[in-house]
Amino acid sequence: MNFLSGWMPIAVAAGITIPPLVLLYFLKLRRAPRTVSTTLLWKRAVEDLQVNAPFQRIRNNLLLWLQLLVLLLAAFALGKPIFEGSRQTEDTLVLLIDHSASMGVEEKDGRTRLDIAKEQAEAIIDSMPSGGKAMLIGFSDRATVASAFETDRSVLKDRLDSIPQTDAASTLTEGIALAEAYMQNLVIAGGESEPDITVESSATPARVVILTDGNIEDAETLTIKRLPTDDMQIVSIGERDDNVAILSMEAKRNYEYPQMLEVFSLVRNFGPNTIRCDANLYINDRHVDVQSMELKPGIEVSPSEDETEADSDESSQPKPATRKSNLVPLTGSTASVAFDPIEYEGGGVVEVRLTVDDAMSADNAAWTIVQPPRHVSVLEVGEGNLFLDRVLPTLPIQVKKMTPDEYERADETEIAEAGRLKFDLAIFDNHSTERLWPGSYIFFGGVPNIEGVSADRMVQGGIIFDWDESHPILRYVGIGRIMIHQWLNLTLPPQAEPLVEGEDAPVMALLSQDGMHFLISAFSLVAEDEITGQALLNSDWGFKPHFPVFLQNAIQYMTGSLSFKGVRNVRPGNPIEFAVPDNTEEINVRRPDGFVAKVQTGNFTTVNYAGTRKVGVYSAEPAVEGREQYAVNLFNGTESSVAPSKVLKLAGTNVQATASVEIVNKPFWPYLLLAILAVLLIEWAIYSKRIFV
Amino acid sequence: MATPTASKTEDLLDPEFIVRLERLEMVSKKIFHGSMRGERRSRRRGESAEFADHRNYVVGDDLRFLDWNVYARLERLFIKLFLEEVDLHVNIMVDVSKSMAWGNPDKGRYARQIAAALSYVGLANNDRVSVYSFANGLVGELAGMRGKRLLPKLLDHLQTIECDGISDFHAACKQFSLRHSQPGILIVLSDFFDKGGFEPGLRLLLGRKSDVYCIQVLAPDELEPQLSGELRLTDVEDEDVAEVSMSRALINRYKQNLRAYCRGLQDYCTRRGMTYAMTCSDVPFDQVVLNVLRRRGLFK
Repeated sequence: MNFLSGWMPIAVAAGITIPPLVLLYFLKLRRAPRTVSTTLLWKRAVEDLQVNAPFQRIRNNLLLWLQLLVLLLAAFALGKPIFEGSRQTEDTLVLLIDHSASMGVEEKDGRTRLDIAKEQAEAIIDSMPSGGKAMLIGFSDRATVASAFETDRSVLKDRLDSIPQTDAASTLTEGIALAEAYMQNLVIAGGESEPDITVESSATPARVVILTDGNIEDAETLTIKRLPTDDMQIVSIGERDDNVAILSMEAKRNYEYPQMLEVFSLVRNFGPNTIRCDANLYINDRHVDVQSMELKPGIEVSPSEDETEADSDESSQPKPATRKSNLVPLTGSTASVAFDPIEYEGGGVVEVRLTVDDAMSADNAAWTIVQPPRHVSVLEVGEGNLFLDRVLPTLPIQVKKMTPDEYERADETEIAEAGRLKFDLAIFDNHSTERLWPGSYIFFGGVPNIEGVSADRMVQGGIIFDWDESHPILRYVGIGRIMIHQWLNLTLPPQAEPLVEGEDAPVMALLSQDGMHFLISAFSLVAEDEITGQALLNSDWGFKPHFPVFLQNAIQYMTGSLSFKGVRNVRPGNPIEFAVPDNTEEINVRRPDGFVAKVQTGNFTTVNYAGTRKVGVYSAEPAVEGREQYAVNLFNGTESSVAPSKVLKLAGTNVQATASVEIVNKPFWPYLLLAILAVLLIEWAIYSKRIFV
Repeated sequence: MATPTASKTEDLLDPEFIVRLERLEMVSKKIFHGSMRGERRSRRRGESAEFADHRNYVVGDDLRFLDWNVYARLERLFIKLFLEEVDLHVNIMVDVSKSMAWGNPDKGRYARQIAAALSYVGLANNDRVSVYSFANGLVGELAGMRGKRLLPKLLDHLQTIECDGISDFHAACKQFSLRHSQPGILIVLSDFFDKGGFEPGLRLLLGRKSDVYCIQVLAPDELEPQLSGELRLTDVEDEDVAEVSMSRALINRYKQNLRAYCRGLQDYCTRRGMTYAMTCSDVPFDQVVLNVLRRRGLFK
């Protein structure tokens, strides 16, 4: 049994009302002794009253009227009366409940935001009209239907409890799509007996309630087709806004001295107060270093103009904090932590942990996996490229050369091992291939022949519009000053990350797909003459001093031996791909919370484990050497900015969030019970006054 | 001796009231036989100075009562008939059960006052007055008094009676009937609250051919109970208990039952030639004697 208002009001009411009632009861029982000349007539009178009671004429008795009133009130309460709000009562309800990382923030009363959201959802479920149905969708980086449309409230509440807390980011697109899909099915299913009803003409009234703290990444780009957006209600959960987060972390070995490990981290304060905290470095749980920092407020505490005008008569009240900008941090609110280089030649888990007491703990630590230092092995596939041939030997890598024909004809064991690319990196020059295994690849003037990637024509004399200078691959690389004769017009999947943008399509992009990681450059430095077949210069980039820099950056980035970003680091909710050792049927995956999940390999070379709801280190046993551990980190500024949004820009429309649930059907029976209690007390008082001496 | 007597007289009877009582004389609706010639006329023709009628002479009649004047005129023998004057037995039964001590003013004293007054009227008229007190039987007796000189004795007797015991009207009437066979006037002073019922007792009294007067004495609290709340009522006589929740409805029902009880007693008396009167102990008893009983035909 659940009580919306908790046990305390019940205990107080019982404490106030029951003792007087019991006292009256005892007073009633105490009879005063009296002596009479004879009891003959009294006994006869009592008997007469008892005998005649059912048939006696109804007398005008106040107690009778009060008891009748009690009965009427009780009968009225049995009819489940409700307060009708200003809006139409909806039969269909869609509840979208955010269970992303920021919903794990513990509020001042000790409950998490998810707990509060569930309580609000229960209140909404309780207020549903009889026969009404509700659907529960939990959303974080992906959405899951906790309950399809259901009329049984107890079932809905059970399903509500099953929505777990995750450390994932918050996106709403999938949740809205799920709700719309179910709504459509509902309409079609309901319209079977009435063929005239179409999806478009559906007038099924549905109320959409989103319970969130407002930190939704894709709220603005959301498209809502069928759900009634004008009747959408957003309930803002939570109040705390103090949080310090690790937004990124990198551990890399020094290029010249690979035994030296360098660890960097970016820390940002999202709260309204200046924070002093320490960043501790651990390697395999051994404390190695500590760095202190002071972080200035990440949000401005000042009343907004609208609120100043609206609350002018309440100027003494403290003003709520408003976020000036979520994307651009305020000056001094971020700190780059660079630990002193550490001589460490082993592998293992590197952890950075903040000693700070803030709203969210999931972003107070970050992990990464380092491998022992070793030389990178690179397979170069091409007809021979002057510039590559000159630069690659100067780098501390082991290079094996193959022509495209050799590559295509080579035995698999020469190129792949245990279902993966045998080399740390393969560089293809003017060659497109479909012989690919999970691993890292750089394509110059060619494309991997995988789904979604194609190059249909050549673009000559194109213009480079933009490039991402901040990306590690293009760091210290002046792309804008090179000349390119022609490049491939690339068509890439949406998840590709463009590094250099051309007129119509990316010229250089990163793509991760099916365990393969590609750096695709639409042009090569040399091109084959269509008539003579001779190698011609396609770009002057090879003559530029920053070409070796680019190549070094690219190799470092793609091999992951120095930078692990995108290779061994996974975001919460994303699957981890474990390599399966030979003759292994089952892999035990140990989660950060200690739970061991058993994953059947099914004779595949790799298995995916998707239960990465929490941040931390996930390890597999047995595992391919060097691929035992993966780190799951939040690294999400939107989630770490825990201050709840009061206004949410949803699908291009500003929607004001409410602090609590607007109960359309507010139950009336509690007030009736109070009225009954009051009438009963009055009745007792009158009765006692009449009989007590 | 005169002082205490006067005091007792004042206690029960006011001297001025006694003077007023002297003017009264009890009358019976019937002619009663007395054991000696009294001052009272009876329907039995007898030897007295008051002529009643003539009848034909038959052999054996006392020649002294021949009307010679008629014989002279008609030459026929007629006997003169005279109303015989007989003495009157006045019996007073006073209820002295414990319930008579209840009430404010208490019913017992009130009943004794009335008994004293009625007795005095009888004594003053040289009637044969007997006073019986009863509870669960006859518990006191002062019989065969005649003449005003016995008033102190009567009052002394009435003063010393204590109200105690459970009322058993039937037993008392049975004892009275066995002991007292003379017809006369019988006055019963009681509240008639007998759980065995008043009917069996009254039926026994009827057999004595007495002129019966039932005077029911009630207390004001019996007529208008001033009770409220949750009560445990105890019968003063047998300590029987009744737990009641006082309400207006219950009190009304009680009054209805009391009226019905009194009316039942009245009807019983009326149908059997008895006289019924009801009084309350807060009504001055002299008014009862002088007005109520006079209207009922006890006095002339």
